[in-house]
Amino acid sequence: MNDSKIIKLCKELGCCDTCCLRYIGLKSPAAYEEAKQFLVKYVRDKTEHANNVDPSTDQDETNPPEEIGPTAEQDKIEPADCANHSKEQDQTELADGVNQKTEQEAGSLQNDTEKTSCDRNGAESDEPPAKKQKTDSICVSCIGVLQEENWPQCYAMVKEVLDKKRYECDTFACALSAPIATMLRERYITLCLKEQFADYDADKLLTPLKEAWKWSFGAHLAAHVGITLDSGAVSPLLVTLNLEYPDDLQELEVLKTLSASLFESRSKQRQRFAVEFTRRSVEQALRGVTLARLRAQPAWEGGAPAPRAQARPVSVQAAHAPLYLGGRYIKLSRTLPQTPWLVNGLRMMHSSVQEIIFGPIARLYGMSPDETEYRLKFMSAGREDVDVRCLGDGRPFAVEVSDPQRTPTADELRRMCDEISEGEQVIVKSLVPVSREELAELKKGEETKCKTYEALCIKLSHTEDDELTANGDTAIRVTERDIANINSYRNSDSSRVLLSQRTPIRVLHRRPLLTRTRRILDLTAYPVAGHPQLFVVRLRTEAGTYVKEWAHGEAGRTRPRLQDALRARADILALDVASVDLPWPNTNTL
Amino acid sequence: MTMEFKILDSIPDLTNLKSFTERYFSKRYITNVNGIKNNDIMIMFHSNRIALLSLAPSHFFFTKANDFKVNYSVGNVNRLRNSVKGKSKKGGQHLVPKSVVCKIEYDDGTSFDVPCCMKGTLVEVNEELVKNPKLLKECPDEDGYIAIILSSIAISEATKSEMLTHEEYLKVLDSFEIND
Repeated sequence: MNDSKIIKLCKELGCCDTCCLRYIGLKSPAAYEEAKQFLVKYVRDKTEHANNVDPSTDQDETNPPEEIGPTAEQDKIEPADCANHSKEQDQTELADGVNQKTEQEAGSLQNDTEKTSCDRNGAESDEPPAKKQKTDSICVSCIGVLQEENWPQCYAMVKEVLDKKRYECDTFACALSAPIATMLRERYITLCLKEQFADYDADKLLTPLKEAWKWSFGAHLAAHVGITLDSGAVSPLLVTLNLEYPDDLQELEVLKTLSASLFESRSKQRQRFAVEFTRRSVEQALRGVTLARLRAQPAWEGGAPAPRAQARPVSVQAAHAPLYLGGRYIKLSRTLPQTPWLVNGLRMMHSSVQEIIFGPIARLYGMSPDETEYRLKFMSAGREDVDVRCLGDGRPFAVEVSDPQRTPTADELRRMCDEISEGEQVIVKSLVPVSREELAELKKGEETKCKTYEALCIKLSHTEDDELTANGDTAIRVTERDIANINSYRNSDSSRVLLSQRTPIRVLHRRPLLTRTRRILDLTAYPVAGHPQLFVVRLRTEAGTYVKEWAHGEAGRTRPRLQDALRARADILALDVASVDLPWPNTNTL
Repeated sequence: MTMEFKILDSIPDLTNLKSFTERYFSKRYITNVNGIKNNDIMIMFHSNRIALLSLAPSHFFFTKANDFKVNYSVGNVNRLRNSVKGKSKKGGQHLVPKSVVCKIEYDDGTSFDVPCCMKGTLVEVNEELVKNPKLLKECPDEDGYIAIILSSIAISEATKSEMLTHEEYLKVLDSFEIND
């Protein structure tokens, strides 16, 4: 097998220069940037090499394609050199063909009809030269996707979208949505190559259309939009170009004959397969296609049908990877839910932590209320009830900003915090960009972190040993002994307090009824000056403990409860989260 | 910004304290169920439609001093064996207004039935009443609740509107006293 011969066959079949490089398996991005010039030089070097060494044996046949050394080749590209050679016209017939095509596509008026006719199929040579040239110029494999003539329109469309969205990003990655017919056409070419060269292995050799497109079109696009092309794994900005070919579906119809059973079974499962021709279904259908069966189809009798029109860009999408801003919020209101609280579509509270935090972020990005709803997402390490404050260092949270134009500056982040905190319902001291990995820590923290609470409680009955004063005063008072009882209370050897909690009634309508075991790791009580019936309990609990239910006992559904430690009936009046034991975000900016 | 927030900032008006059930539930009443005088039932509806079945304070139960037991075994159904699965509480015993949830059996051999008074699924019975029946007498609207029932929003709303509110209930009781 010889690259020159593969190129020759590809040309005869009607492939463009870039597709030729794909079929010989060239994987060097630089080669694709100036595919025409590269191909001219590549073929010339091959021919000279073959002539110099020994015309009777084909050296390349023993060379595995990997050893062609594309990287070595790319270093040798000298556009001026290539251009000179293209003028020389001293190459073999094949090289001439390539040169001729180069000039033709460059808009040269020079048209060597004789040479053109020899590398095209005969049927079309009767047509008027002008029309023939036009049809000829569209590649039968990529339908023009890889041909520079079609690119200016793409550049313009991409530029328009990028100008409109105004990203502040130095790099971009690009993705292609090509006509599906290119898959069928590609299959035809590889079958032809396999027919000619028995050891041609398309799976190993063929450079995917998408890759070749990125290396050729993408590189040129970068110059037009003025930012650097990078891989999708590196650049956060992805530009997707959709190219459409008017005959796409019509051409794929042939697969319904060639792979009848597949499409029949798909049409029976309309629910599952709403679209007939998808990349997946076509790929499946193509697996069983043979050259003989394809050629037996009327449209394919004379080889790959010449495309009637090029694939044209129809839309461009640009999207920047989401930005995550992390911080901790302090909630000072007892009438503020964490997220909008809606009952039957009606708002129950004037605002929410989420909305207060979203405000300045939405303003920075100029988002409308509708846009805010789908472009900002609130995440947090757990949540507290509407009437519970969150004090101390606050609760870790993150906001996902989808498709951000840019990352806010440190100054802007500081200003956002000030704006959030202005209303004194929610305080955020710092906001920092966080990574996706850190985000996972935040979510994991929800199940593992411990929390410290402070609960304001009331003693509602006398303990058995309460001494009633002689003057008949029966007021209930929290005594030193009560405090001592709570502070020494323990019901388990393994931890301070082991609770058995049934799913609280307040969430029972939407959660299964279960009995959970939770631990109170630490428990301290102290009296409240000036309020003899009140006391404060400070407790550290493991994640998932319902503290209010422990304090009032929920009609005995949580056991033991605060009244067991106090030895008198008790209830809770107010609750604060004093600290959430999760060091997050992981910075020292707090 | 120097801020010090203390839980003590939030001491409420202690003269107007509400109990756990008063805070989260609306109490509804039905009197003379099945035509039995003072066979009065209270259902406490949580805002999320979960209902707690209890005896109303005017129930004749509270006037009888005999020792008693709570028996959740009614007919051939043992309510203690009730079990529910998943969010939708599958497998819970079906209840209709006439269903008997439990029997109160006195040491003198007499007894009375506690009817459910609403349609729904039995989620939970208060097993503690079997071990410690005096809770039913001491705190019927908290630890002495009899059962937890879940029904659809529609049924729960309908039942609620058919029953007496606390104010209406007090009026009805007044009129009984006058009639007596």
